[in-house]
Amino acid sequence: MNKKTLALSVIGIAALGLFPVFMHNPYYLHLAETILIYAILLFGLDIVVGYTGQVSLGHAGLFGIGSYTTGVLYLKLGLPILLALPASIVVAAVFGAVMALPALRVTGPYLAMVTLAFGTITQILINEMSFLTEGPMGIQITKPGWFGQKMDETTFFYLVAVLMVVALIVVHRILRSHLGRAFQALRDSPIASDCMGVSVYRYKVYAFVISAALAGLAGSLYAYSEQYISPNTYNFELTILFLLAVIMGGRKSRIGSLIGAFIVVMLPSLLADIDLFRQISTAAAVIAVIGAVIALVQKRKTAREIVVPVVATIGMALFSYKLENITDWRLTIFGLMTLFVVYYLQDGIVGFVSAMFGKGPRHLIAQSGAQAVDESLAIANAGGERVGVLLSARQLLMQFGGLKALNHVDLQIAQGTVHGLIGPNGSGKSTMMNVLTGIYKPTDGVVEFAGRVISGTTPSAIALGGVARTFQNVQLFGEMTATENVLVGLHSTFRSNVFDAMLHTPRYLREERAARERAASILHFVGLSDLANEEARNLPYGKQRLLEIGRALGLNPQLLLLDEPAAGLTAPDIKELIAIIRKIREHGITIILIEHHMDVVMSLCDTVTVLDFGQKICEGKPAAVQADPKVIEAYLGGSVSEELSGAAHPVATA
Amino acid sequence: MEILLQLVFSGIALGMIYAVIAFGYQLTFATSGTLNFGQGESLMLGALVGLSLVGSIHGGPYMNYWLMIPLVILFGGLQGVVVEWIAVRPAIKIKSEFGWIMSTIAMAIIFKNVAENIWGKDDLTFPSPLSAQPFQIFGANVQPMQIVVIVGALAIMLAVELFNRKSIYGKAVVATSNDRDAAGLMGINTSMVITFSYALSSATAAFAGVLVAPLTLTGATMGSSLGLKAFAVAIIGGLTSGVGAIVGGLILGIAETLTGFYVSTGYKEVPGLVLLLLVLAIKPAGLFGKTAIKKV
Repeated sequence: MNKKTLALSVIGIAALGLFPVFMHNPYYLHLAETILIYAILLFGLDIVVGYTGQVSLGHAGLFGIGSYTTGVLYLKLGLPILLALPASIVVAAVFGAVMALPALRVTGPYLAMVTLAFGTITQILINEMSFLTEGPMGIQITKPGWFGQKMDETTFFYLVAVLMVVALIVVHRILRSHLGRAFQALRDSPIASDCMGVSVYRYKVYAFVISAALAGLAGSLYAYSEQYISPNTYNFELTILFLLAVIMGGRKSRIGSLIGAFIVVMLPSLLADIDLFRQISTAAAVIAVIGAVIALVQKRKTAREIVVPVVATIGMALFSYKLENITDWRLTIFGLMTLFVVYYLQDGIVGFVSAMFGKGPRHLIAQSGAQAVDESLAIANAGGERVGVLLSARQLLMQFGGLKALNHVDLQIAQGTVHGLIGPNGSGKSTMMNVLTGIYKPTDGVVEFAGRVISGTTPSAIALGGVARTFQNVQLFGEMTATENVLVGLHSTFRSNVFDAMLHTPRYLREERAARERAASILHFVGLSDLANEEARNLPYGKQRLLEIGRALGLNPQLLLLDEPAAGLTAPDIKELIAIIRKIREHGITIILIEHHMDVVMSLCDTVTVLDFGQKICEGKPAAVQADPKVIEAYLGGSVSEELSGAAHPVATA
Repeated sequence: MEILLQLVFSGIALGMIYAVIAFGYQLTFATSGTLNFGQGESLMLGALVGLSLVGSIHGGPYMNYWLMIPLVILFGGLQGVVVEWIAVRPAIKIKSEFGWIMSTIAMAIIFKNVAENIWGKDDLTFPSPLSAQPFQIFGANVQPMQIVVIVGALAIMLAVELFNRKSIYGKAVVATSNDRDAAGLMGINTSMVITFSYALSSATAAFAGVLVAPLTLTGATMGSSLGLKAFAVAIIGGLTSGVGAIVGGLILGIAETLTGFYVSTGYKEVPGLVLLLLVLAIKPAGLFGKTAIKKV
């Protein structure tokens, strides 16, 4: 923790502690309490929305489950808060897992609808199951007991404040740990996450479960805070309100969640007062016009870009003077705000403010170069020069409809070699890669790796078994730094679970330190030390390719699959790449190399296999393959005798 | 037995409404890969505008039911254009999935709130153009309006399909669905096609609104749950299959009327949503959809 964050935290905690001392009005105390409760939920929602990039429309339902677990336990069994609160967390977490399970196989709009369906079912069930929930009547709850007497508003405020701070620290720690990195990785590139041994399915469910647990905690506190719960509270609008709060405050930021909670809780009170609303909308219109004029003068925006927001804000200001009763139009204003935030404030208030001060998103800074980098750490030796077959594919058939992208191909990769895989575009090289790494399940045939059958298992299981890969079209985790990208590759070195990350146990701290050291040495190995804290999307293309190799090395692979690593690289970059691949081989890692640059293939490979139309047409030493007439024909076309059989195959995509 | 048959008939009529809305989802999903989360609100607006034209709430009636239908379809089309223009186009431009999901939801909230302010919060009755006197099929009572719903729903889906298959404009729509980039390179104005698909989609929803309105109550809140359940139908049937929408609609419609009668009306939304979750867990592409192969 640096000094500034420390100071901010001290001020924040002091403000929380002193608030009830100076504020005796119970109405405002209650509002502040609600803000803190919402913030707890938003921390959780941010994990799903900000970090894993999924839309959840079910969080009002989870919030309701938390409230009703407490309510029902209180009503039926008279349980105290010490039992009801944890029960709410657990029950909501279980429902979070239930919600995430169908979501395993879907993303985007499907997932949004699944969560919406979940939220709707929850509300219906709460409404209908009167024997348990008292139905539309709702449940009355009293404030929890405290040393034999009931808590007053102030004591309860302190309880909420403490729990909010705890939730904040816990969430912050989880998101800064390997788990948080996994969440972000699956947002940026699900396929690459799977191929780094980070199972997309599993971590999506984790994210939902953690998020749901926080919603449960918030729900339980809300029940005690309101002292009355009824099904109508947990409706669709509340879900949208939560989402609006997360994006308006700022994704991937705890301060953003707090700001968002503040805004959505204060919003109804602001909108209740028509005069205040008129003043605010007039001010907004004036600011929009001034901002637009400045942007136009400085030529940062075109007139077309700014016409919509300017007209909209002016329209809103005029509209506000025509209105007599604002509460009826509350939802319209709320919808307009959502539209505005989605298009003009994508990074939220936090993002906007830090962009104004010219700061990007903050990342944990990797260790400085002062400490000696031990390159031997970069790659664990994958074993000596044992001669044997590391990977063998037998009679692989991969069929897409009527197209045989791989047609009964055999492939044997000898341990410790660089095995080239070449062929014209559409010959099945990339399909082969995808079959070997489990992204495609072969229609027929078997892949054996180090004596075990791996075809048919998941990409992440294969990756953890020691097969790492890079991608033809670079699949880095764009919003993460170079170091963090490599750390995702090192994910499998962590034995710590979520509780270790929450509590910062010695085991977790040791593993994190070791992983960071190794990441630094891997970055040094691929020559990216000075770019360690740069976001991957900002790296030049050649460096991105090297970073992909570095990330793959994090897995400690026995076999490394490089899919066109030299594509699009400049001549000096290619030289550097060749040197790196040689170094990797010297450490005993077996490499399969797909490449179109023949000089790279010829200078690196021990054996070369040539594919054409999904069939193996040649295999052998590079020089022999280069001279083979069939290979020359496949690349350049020609000889009549083969044309018939060639034309019979449709061309597959590469 | 008669009761069961009667429930099945009303289930079919309801199911066809779901099918039409689901069909609307498919139209925009095909061309742009986006959905209007406010499809139910398009239906609701269609029904309420129709009510203003044929009912007496805004000084009417101005015309009879059948004349009102083309006007409502036109209104639905315009409403779809507005949705596409404000909520979807900017999101497509910045390639933000989160963007269009949130902004179509925001539009839905705005439409609902505006409708509440214009037509009030209470449900209204929609004058039926045909006599409510039921006739008998196999001993079960069937309202004439239910037949109109079934025929009308099939007719509009057929009309859109014919348009897509036979006309040159329809071919542009199909081409855009298959490959937006390639269609763009062939000189098709794909963003216009997307706008058009939204117009078509909302127009069918508005039409469904005036079809269903005489059978149920009409009001600002009628759209949300219809929209959600129609999405379930689109998923159950598969987002790429017109037949799937009809089959899915029938399954859901019948399941719902049966649950409503034999279990409790409070639970009638549940089977569809559970079915949605099951289909997504077992076969996400839907019963009739094709599984897409992801390319790396």
